[in-house]
Amino acid sequence: MNQIDFRQDLLPLKDKIYRLALRITLNRQEAEDLTQDTLLRAWDKRVELCAVQSLEAYCLTIVRRLALDRLALKEHANASLTEAETQVPDAAGNPEERLVATDRLQRVQRLFNALPVTLRTALQLRDIEGLSYHEAAEAMGITEGAFKVTLHRARTALRTQYEKIESYGL
Amino acid sequence: MDYKYIDQLLEKYWNAETSAAEEQILRAFFAQDVLPAHLARFKPLFDYERSEQTLGLSADFDERVARAALGQTATPATTVRTEARHFSMARRLRPLYRAAAAVAIVTLVGTAVQHAVSHQPADNAAWDYDQQAYTDSYKDPQQSLELTKRALDMMKQGPSTAAADSTVAEPESAR
Repeated sequence: MNQIDFRQDLLPLKDKIYRLALRITLNRQEAEDLTQDTLLRAWDKRVELCAVQSLEAYCLTIVRRLALDRLALKEHANASLTEAETQVPDAAGNPEERLVATDRLQRVQRLFNALPVTLRTALQLRDIEGLSYHEAAEAMGITEGAFKVTLHRARTALRTQYEKIESYGL
Repeated sequence: MDYKYIDQLLEKYWNAETSAAEEQILRAFFAQDVLPAHLARFKPLFDYERSEQTLGLSADFDERVARAALGQTATPATTVRTEARHFSMARRLRPLYRAAAAVAIVTLVGTAVQHAVSHQPADNAAWDYDQQAYTDSYKDPQQSLELTKRALDMMKQGPSTAAADSTVAEPESAR
């Protein structure tokens, strides 16, 4: 691999890094700071990183560790949940239908972010970012087998929680 | 319609046994507006995950971070990518070799033709240092011209071969 270029190689990773940081910290400002941190750290190590197979996996590993450290430092309960609001996609239908759709997505978001950090990290990497099992496991610093187990627990937990609140609505 | 295949895929999905391709099928299926009741209840989960894929940072983030990164001074250990490319003297002179060869050929051919065609000793003064000792190799001026041209052609092979051997055609295409 040739020399790493900041704009061509590192900057394009910013959104993925940001989304993972946000999923872990549940705070937009912190996620943005962590993204900047991660990109600058990778840039500082650009000479060694020429040999690395996946720059993306490396950056995700770094931001995950930084985000977990940040999370451990502060209280991550109530207040931060309101900050990570969904950008609801433009849904068709009348205003009432759209409101219901928004409401539903926000409910899923609350459940998603209420999951333990390891589970929601697994979901973020596989279900939202579309990483392979190998890449996602690498970003979490675990084996592929361990990742699949975590993913299974995560998907099942999300489904269970969601069905629970949906059944209350009836 | 039989949704058995989707049901099976979904079961694998909860167990984290699906491949990336299978998950793609599921996501495409759940992206539809109309779904059977027993599957429609899962649609919001997939909708949410899809909507989260587009979340991102603003363009001014790019500029801020780029400034922070590229504005830093490089440590001695790291190789810095400079804006201006530095060419060695040899590289800078390469394009001139062809020009020099062309000039040389024109000069030689011009003078040789002049020499072969002209019978005035005065024109030969520049070439001959000993006019008394000079004798023509060939009597026929036309033959002289042909032979001169052939000799120069052989010489022309030289510079073009050198240019063909060169690894750099133009400076800006080189890396």
